Amino acid sequence: MLHHHARTLLATAIAAGLFASPALAATDGEQQGLEEVKQFTLTHNARLIDQATELLDAVETYANVIAEHDGDYAAAWEAEGDTLAATIHEIRQVWLATSNEYETIEGIVAGIPETAKYDLILDAGNPGSATEDVAEYDLTLPDGSVLERPGNLFHGITEPMFWGAEPEHVMLDADLDGNGTITRGEVLFDANLALGAAQAIDHWSRELEKDMSAWAPNRDDAFTAVVTMTPTVGDYFGEWKESQFINGEIGAFVARSRLVDVQGIMGGCRKMYFEAISPVVAQGDAALDTSIRNGFEDLLGLVEETYQREQAGERFTAEEADALGNDAQDIADRIVAMVLQAAAKNDVTIRG
Amino acid sequence: MPLKSQLRYHARPIALGLVLAAVVIAGLSLAIPSPPEPGVALDEVPYYQLPFGPDEAGDPRPFWPSRMQTASGQFANPATIPSSAECATCHQREFEEWLPSLHAYAGLDNVYEKTVEANEDLLGHGVEQARFCEGCHSPAELLTGRTNRFTSVMPSDAAAEGVSCIACHTAVHADPEQGNGALTLTLETSLDQLSGPLLVAAPRDHARAFGAERTNELIKTSGFCGGCHTEILDASMSKSTEPHYAQATYQEWQGSWYEENDITCQDCHMAPDPAGYVQRLRDGHVAKPERYTHRFIGANYLLFDTSLGSNLAFLRGGFLPGMSQERQLELIEQQGEATRALLRAAAGLELRDTRTSDGTLHVDIAVQNLGAGHNLPTGVLDQKHMWLEVRLRDAEGRVVFHSGAYDADTGEVAEGAVRWMEIFRDSEGKPIRDHLTFQTAAIDWERKTIPPKGEDVVGYDIPLPEAGTGPYAIEARLWYTVALPELLFNNLRVEMPVPPLELAELSAEISRP
Repeated sequence: MLHHHARTLLATAIAAGLFASPALAATDGEQQGLEEVKQFTLTHNARLIDQATELLDAVETYANVIAEHDGDYAAAWEAEGDTLAATIHEIRQVWLATSNEYETIEGIVAGIPETAKYDLILDAGNPGSATEDVAEYDLTLPDGSVLERPGNLFHGITEPMFWGAEPEHVMLDADLDGNGTITRGEVLFDANLALGAAQAIDHWSRELEKDMSAWAPNRDDAFTAVVTMTPTVGDYFGEWKESQFINGEIGAFVARSRLVDVQGIMGGCRKMYFEAISPVVAQGDAALDTSIRNGFEDLLGLVEETYQREQAGERFTAEEADALGNDAQDIADRIVAMVLQAAAKNDVTIRG
Repeated sequence: MPLKSQLRYHARPIALGLVLAAVVIAGLSLAIPSPPEPGVALDEVPYYQLPFGPDEAGDPRPFWPSRMQTASGQFANPATIPSSAECATCHQREFEEWLPSLHAYAGLDNVYEKTVEANEDLLGHGVEQARFCEGCHSPAELLTGRTNRFTSVMPSDAAAEGVSCIACHTAVHADPEQGNGALTLTLETSLDQLSGPLLVAAPRDHARAFGAERTNELIKTSGFCGGCHTEILDASMSKSTEPHYAQATYQEWQGSWYEENDITCQDCHMAPDPAGYVQRLRDGHVAKPERYTHRFIGANYLLFDTSLGSNLAFLRGGFLPGMSQERQLELIEQQGEATRALLRAAAGLELRDTRTSDGTLHVDIAVQNLGAGHNLPTGVLDQKHMWLEVRLRDAEGRVVFHSGAYDADTGEVAEGAVRWMEIFRDSEGKPIRDHLTFQTAAIDWERKTIPPKGEDVVGYDIPLPEAGTGPYAIEARLWYTVALPELLFNNLRVEMPVPPLELAELSAEISRP
């Protein structure tokens, strides 16, 4: 009898333990939602690869022009200045789009132990000289030279190089905008390094996709995805706001903020929440779940309405753009705060 | 009946009455809800991270590496702290003065925001490292627990307002020697029990919350301003192995003529006409201003430059709510005029000496701090700085010498200019020109700034052309700027030469002996 009770207690304890484990607690609806989370992440990884390919194409065009002049930057500029200037402009625009695409999934990439190394390589890691968070890879350049653990590719290498902020990589000062004066950032940069780095971004984006494909998301991942991706919507909308402020008097290389991107990302976040998280939150706190759902609807409604107005040719005043941008940021902040409160109530681990 | 007997006779009903009274009192105390415990405990803010560990006593440091804190150490509840727009219901004039000011925009302006973003990952602690900045720039944001990688605290108007009404009017302690935000605010306990129209019915309740005597006394002092206007970089937030002053405005004021005459920060920067007040001080009149405004006129003329059009909105990060954009721009324009006038009231130039020997003209020019109660310039001087432009023309008007030329296309000043500024350096000694504070390992002076009522005599040796003929005309201009072009380009991705402001000028004719 005692043994029977002991077995029952043991079985109950095991069941309770299993139930408390987020990864195994998923209902069918939640499991379906988790698959959506993975699909969303893979979709943006694929877009990252597309952008990386576009970046590589643009850098190849640049490197080819330099190569055609045997690496003589002055001769290349003399002969094909217009092509080089246009290509550099394109490289910068595509770089911003590529970086933004990565930012969208950065929270997930950094938060999953199996993919965290890609965050260091692509976006956040230090050079080998640092004591921690080193990007563990070597960069092989087209001329055969190898840079050992040179730091992350987006912000450590390519961004300062493409914008002429790293003197070591400036090969020639050049009047890129053709206005008769050479100002900050008007440079031809090292084609060998640029090509090697662009190839590496392309390569590591594809490697990331392989590991991301093997990832099996669980409840913790779903919450992490929503709380790390939703604020990027506020950032995008904020960039859109700023792009409405800037006039032509200051040369600005801000990202092309397309509200259509905001719709895509926000739609994905809403889907993740509604399908993978809402069933969990509603079970313990129906009012909180309703507030979060309403938040998503408000934010998507705001984005959609603004997009429609913009498509209809409306030009926003600084005051209007400011109010819209602030509203979007405020709603995104509220959604994240509420989702985190729900996460805490459900003992969810947020990573990243 | 004797008294003893009477007591014995009534003992039972008296005891019963006492018991009943105790029961009634206890019942009432249970029925009336006790006021909620003010503040929010650390464990009530989910996912709040403490990457810097506990203090020496082993207690958590939720606001570190800022020294800003609440009196109880608890977080403030954003739902209970009033925004300045709410204060404007009654304090409209003060609100109109404050809203366009840089205190109001301290946590919003894009130059600040983007520079914080550029800094926050440099030491590997992420967003939490930015608590150092937010303490002074956005204290309510910090003290409500919103400066965190995962922000589970709801946003609020009050938290978004920068240095707002409550940031000063709840202060109970300041430590200007430590700086780095060394202020204690009672945001978590300074709460009205009544609100709205009922405030009028209970003004003492409101005064207890936001106008306590010790607060009113504290916020009149320069030491209060020094809590934030003293900035010391050390290993907590930079790569400095030993403390370096990045901002010493309070220390510059200490021991000066101004302190000796009880002229505080507030006297100049909150006077209705700051430049006029400074001029009176220069003339030796040390009376206090007739009233204090909440405009906090300072030195950043750029963020009041309405000629920038909508680019100004970009730099400011937009507009705070509570007033139309049109009205805000009017007030920004007015504060811009006051800012430029104040800066110009502070500085002077004097030609001290000219002499010629062996075909070289030697010129001494005195750069004078005539009206600033701190060094000229002051603040964080890796960006803000002053330089001297000197030009010598011959009798035909040809320029034979030019130092400190400004290139309006690039925003650069010619090499060799005499500049009063600091150079931040990284661990390898390379100069940092985009305010990456967290990467700063050392700070050097390019030329030390000029103390109150002091001057710095700059000498130039100018080779005169052999064929040149006198007389020569010398022109000198003292320029001031608030940012290097690298700051805007690297952090905001805009190519914007910052137009400098002329503080003083002189011109004179020099005969060749």
